[in-house]
Amino acid sequence: MIRVCQLQKTYRVGEEEIRALRGVDLQIGKNEMIAVMGASGSGKSTLMNIIGCLDKPTEGTYELNGQPVSQMSEASLALVRNEKIGFVFQSFELLARQTALENVELPLIYSRESGLTSRERTRRALHALDRVRLSDRVTHRPSQLSGGQKQRVAIARAILNNPAILMADEPTGNLDSVTTKEIMGIFKQLHSEGQTVLIVTHENDVAAYCQRVIRLRDGLVLSDLSIAQDQAGQVVK
Amino acid sequence: MILSPYFYSQAIKLALSQIWANRKRSLLTALGIIVGVASTTSVIAALSGLKTSVLTEFESFGANRIYVFPDRPDDKPRNLYPREKIRIKPWEVRELQTSCPSLRAITPVTEFGVSIASDDRELEGITVVGIWPDWHEAENRRVIAGRKFNRIDESGERQVCLLNESAIDELRLPSDAVGSHILVDGRRFLVVGVVETLQARMFGGDANTAELFIPFSVAIKLQSTEYFLRVVALAKNAEVSEEAKAEIQRTMRRIRGIQPGDPDTFRAEAIDRYIDQFKSLAAGITAIAAGIVGISLLVGGIGIMNIMLVSVSERTREIGLRKAVGATPAAIMMQFLLEAMVLCLAGGLVGVIIGKLFAIGLTMIPGARLENADVPLWAVILSFVFSAAVGLGFGFFPALKASRLDPIEALRHE
Ligand SMILES: Nc1ncnc2c1ncn2[C@@H]1O[C@H](COP(=O)(O)OP(=O)(O)O)[C@@H](O)[C@H]1O
Ligand SMILES: [Mg+2]
Repeated sequence: MIRVCQLQKTYRVGEEEIRALRGVDLQIGKNEMIAVMGASGSGKSTLMNIIGCLDKPTEGTYELNGQPVSQMSEASLALVRNEKIGFVFQSFELLARQTALENVELPLIYSRESGLTSRERTRRALHALDRVRLSDRVTHRPSQLSGGQKQRVAIARAILNNPAILMADEPTGNLDSVTTKEIMGIFKQLHSEGQTVLIVTHENDVAAYCQRVIRLRDGLVLSDLSIAQDQAGQVVK
Repeated sequence: MILSPYFYSQAIKLALSQIWANRKRSLLTALGIIVGVASTTSVIAALSGLKTSVLTEFESFGANRIYVFPDRPDDKPRNLYPREKIRIKPWEVRELQTSCPSLRAITPVTEFGVSIASDDRELEGITVVGIWPDWHEAENRRVIAGRKFNRIDESGERQVCLLNESAIDELRLPSDAVGSHILVDGRRFLVVGVVETLQARMFGGDANTAELFIPFSVAIKLQSTEYFLRVVALAKNAEVSEEAKAEIQRTMRRIRGIQPGDPDTFRAEAIDRYIDQFKSLAAGITAIAAGIVGISLLVGGIGIMNIMLVSVSERTREIGLRKAVGATPAAIMMQFLLEAMVLCLAGGLVGVIIGKLFAIGLTMIPGARLENADVPLWAVILSFVFSAAVGLGFGFFPALKASRLDPIEALRHE
């Protein structure tokens, strides 16, 4: 479903070149649940941003559902983000003045389906909130929600358009261990319903919810193993 | 890329909530636009009110009235056109009367100052006006008591007079003055009628001025031989007033023997000339007002641009998020353009409301003749068009900046 080939990303800061990705090959199949791990600065976020169509690679190709994405225009990328990608951020990124429901409906503003009735929009948003088990906080604003609830609203927003892939860059980075379990339970649940999930984390507890672990080091794939093999390797170390 | 109606409704909703959330800032920002629109609509309202009252006055004044004056050509030496040569003579008026078929009424008018006296008052330097009986029709002045002048008064050089109520007051005559006698320059005159008082007119004199009228034939006897007169004529109707003016011009040139190419030694003017002059004056003032609004909108626009740049920078993360969930650069651009336009239109609305209130205030000033002051619909529409244009023009750069933000950079923004 996702195929990246010899992906490179080089940042230029003045005279200096920073090679964040130095040739990453990766394939992700339908309904996989994958953890991306690695030390800080190893290129995890850079990889996620490219797969999430928020950024373009300097070199290499990226295919999403057989569609070559790497050379698309800004507007086409926006459409891909709207329809195929669901992104969850570490710091939730909810609009403070809008209710949970309005926050979840946000992607529909930019949807190609222009004929949606407001009833249909609400129905979809409510369904997404239901899937993250937040049906009872629909009219609350972010300031009235706990961290875990905020992240669930963000997940509901990400899955609203039934994306091909749900991506999360350190989604539990701002949460305590109890809330982390709650959030990972949601991801697990969505995965069991057929959702492809890609999560960046540096916690083994979080990775343990996944089936496959990709480890990066200095912009290269260090290892790409099943959870069992990966955990075993960690133990050996 | 086509943006959905839902996008537009949400963008406008967002814009309004944004303005409301920062209402103090928004008000200060829109102040330039508010002041610009309010002052222009007020000026336009005042002008339109003035115009209405002036034009209706001209109407009642008589759009088909024509005045003839002696006139010395500007660019010729004075000694070529001595006073006696250009002075209008009574026989010329009679000639106009017979030669101008488009005229309904015509009268010479001669004015001079004398002393007049009643039994218990003497007044110095009162203006006495000599007229033909046709004057009643030409100037549309009826009598409210007694009778008008007639031909026998004129041909018989009868020592009769008409006066208005101010004159009656000043002379301390009984309120029913008809039948009283007064002395004009020492001669005894019989009061035969009271003419209705002039309504206070912008160009027509003053209700409080004492007026005294005597037959023209008598008036010229009381003056030196070089007396001065002007002519007031009334065309049969408004359609032939131009033709009547032309007839007067032709006749005057013929009887004065003015060669083709030589200038007129008189001036014939219809009242619509004054209407045109007033209209062009009003148009001039409107243009100046438009210039002022242009400047204040420019100032207002710079304020709008500044605040929109602040808004873009404050909401960088929000822009990043919107892009991440699928907003195209065009959608972001449109959202901020709409926001700038809504802000400007809100300012324009406040300005128009202030202008309207000001107009209502104007109508209540007693004696200001602005009873009809109102902001015309075209000015309201123009205000909104201008405000929207300012929003579009000055919102463009901030909106472009927002649309070009890199989503990752934006989401990393503090
Ligand atoms: N916009 C950028 N400009 C310059 N260097 C960057 C930028 N983004 C990331 N980098 C660099 O690229 C490398 C990888 O960063 P990142 O992908 O954020 O790592 P991770 O998420 O694994 O911590 C780091 O060395 C980082 O400093
Ligand atoms: Mg990172």
